[in-house]
Amino acid sequence: MAGATVPYLLLLPVVLVMGAILGYPIYNLVRLSTQRYGLFELLQHHGIPVGLHNYGSVLHDAVFWHTLLRTVVFTIVNVGLTMGIGTLIALLMVRVSAWVRILLAAGLVLVWSMPPVVAVQVWNWMTNSQNGVLNYILTELRLGDYFQHNWYETPFSQLGMVTTLVVWGALPFVAITVYAALSQVPRDLIEAAETDGATAWRVFKDVTVPVIRPALLILTSLSILWDFGIFTQAYLLIGPGHIVPENYLMGVYLFQEGYVRTDFGRGAAISILMLVIVALMSAVYVRRMLKLGDEA
Amino acid sequence: MKLRVVAAILVAVSLGVVAATAQAGGQRVTANKLTVWLQVDAQSGWPEVVAAANQQFQQQNPGWTVDVQYQNWGDHLQKFDATIAGNDTPDVIEMGNTEMTKYMAAGAFADLTSAKSQFSNSSSWLSGLAKSASYGGKTFGVPYYAGSRVITYRSDLFKKAGIKKAPTSMKQFQADLVKVGKMQKKVKGFSPLYVGGEDWYTALSFVFDYGGSIATTHKGKWIGTLDSPRSVAGLTAFKNFFKATQSKSTATLDGTSPFPYTVFSQGLTAANYGPAWYSCCTGAKYKTATAQFVMPSHVAGKSMPGFLGGSDLAVPAQSGSKTQAIQWLADFTSTSNERSLQAKGNIPNATNLLGASVNERAAAQSWFVPQAKHWVDVENGNILKTMLAQILTGRLTVKQAASVASDNIAQTLNES
Repeated sequence: MAGATVPYLLLLPVVLVMGAILGYPIYNLVRLSTQRYGLFELLQHHGIPVGLHNYGSVLHDAVFWHTLLRTVVFTIVNVGLTMGIGTLIALLMVRVSAWVRILLAAGLVLVWSMPPVVAVQVWNWMTNSQNGVLNYILTELRLGDYFQHNWYETPFSQLGMVTTLVVWGALPFVAITVYAALSQVPRDLIEAAETDGATAWRVFKDVTVPVIRPALLILTSLSILWDFGIFTQAYLLIGPGHIVPENYLMGVYLFQEGYVRTDFGRGAAISILMLVIVALMSAVYVRRMLKLGDEA
Repeated sequence: MKLRVVAAILVAVSLGVVAATAQAGGQRVTANKLTVWLQVDAQSGWPEVVAAANQQFQQQNPGWTVDVQYQNWGDHLQKFDATIAGNDTPDVIEMGNTEMTKYMAAGAFADLTSAKSQFSNSSSWLSGLAKSASYGGKTFGVPYYAGSRVITYRSDLFKKAGIKKAPTSMKQFQADLVKVGKMQKKVKGFSPLYVGGEDWYTALSFVFDYGGSIATTHKGKWIGTLDSPRSVAGLTAFKNFFKATQSKSTATLDGTSPFPYTVFSQGLTAANYGPAWYSCCTGAKYKTATAQFVMPSHVAGKSMPGFLGGSDLAVPAQSGSKTQAIQWLADFTSTSNERSLQAKGNIPNATNLLGASVNERAAAQSWFVPQAKHWVDVENGNILKTMLAQILTGRLTVKQAASVASDNIAQTLNES
């Protein structure tokens, strides 16, 4: 009798806290998404129920679909680069001498500790078309005439710059975690494979990867979630004065519709849709995690 | 049994946390404090005017304190919206004159019509500013100050190029600039007149100079007019002017990054078109060589209409201290304070205070954005900047880009 209720009782505090900090806001968000809620309604503190109108208008908005596609491509590119480069750095860390490894790790931690807003500012300075150090260095190295080159000329180049910033900021976590996972790869397995004449690539593919796969899976899934919802870097690096539908990512689209145009109902509908998309992606992640748990 | 005790304690603790956080949100200080939101311009440009108003206000209202909180143009509206949601608005807020209509239409500001007589010079307020602060025949704001746009230039370079007088037509001005450009062609990155291509305040001045406009109303609906023949002529003139005066394409830079006066201070341009206060920041090296004149029109002898920027001060409808807010506004916009603002290079808020500075002469010919409640969405949607980038990079013809922008503007302005 006591044994059956104890687990639930123990879960209760968590459920209560989660309910308070997640459930209530989400309930409010859903309610808001079914209302007309602009500046006028904000002043009255009272929305006008419109059913699913906001969802209909978002789903019929070409900007939504273009933004979704752009964000998916952006996410694939960013996660791919983050995982690829991050793993390479981790492999490098295994091979280098101890003090180089410490230096590398310290550098990574420093990158990690920089708040995104500060990083954006530094990026802005470095890539500034008038006085940026990047243009100066590229020109001095005779790689072409980069005098007053504008790195933010097209939506493609703008999102390219955002990608460099996002990947740079995401690398430390991936590199350090993969490095930790790599230390779990049994040395004798690798030696055995090498004795059998396996190439370095073969060893990596068939010995190392299977051992670190759980870590890679978790990192990839988390990176997808983070990069899909990115806002700070995209909004601040491109700059509010250059945010246009052609360079929207989902997070920016949500902000523009909800806050800048003061259409909170529509903004809420967009965030619910984003929530659903992210939830679907997390479901895949959670399932993989559970499966891994069973295997272990 | 022990486990149950532990669980009960945990529940109690978590409930306590929830209760504590719920309490923290509800507190509000209402005791004799006036909260004023001003833009940072006041903090950096004329803090003594603010101090003078506060002092006068406190003499009239013993026991009251004034909490002036300085805001940035980029996010002050979003912050204001948040205070509306939380019933915690400031008692006075500075608004850009293009930002007023949306908030007046929604009922965000207190009606100041009956209090108008308390404000100095209210019968002769600058009509441009007074119009931006009124809606449906009522007054919702007090004009604060205005600024017109003038040419700030390097007199030493103009002199060296043999230019003796300020140009009286656009054609002559453009020829003068080309002359300066030729003389300086060894200076890498030099633009005779630096302007960011997306600086729509400059581009639209050409539009208005050619008799064009942004949008008009017809039977209660907005119609975009940037694709009208006159507007297109103005945009084409801007494109030609831009191509003739820029060293390297700055087509996708806007008016603030970099600031035109920064380019000036680096010796990379001979002129800027912008607010008169640009003379503040042309650099110590060029301080004595900095001079200004009114931008000439394409019609010889006339001046080009410039954007009349400015600020109004409003009292949010939710303010609990409206009487005091109005009093502070009266103190802040007194004749002596407006004179101080004028001395800093601003245009004071009333015609009877106007002087003959280049800034004030330029204000005689001015244009303003459409008074529509969604105009601010056109600005924040960067519709005009997109159009200018398309025109100047050659991605679209003037006509095509203007027509796209015109449709977008009409659609935005006609939203319910």
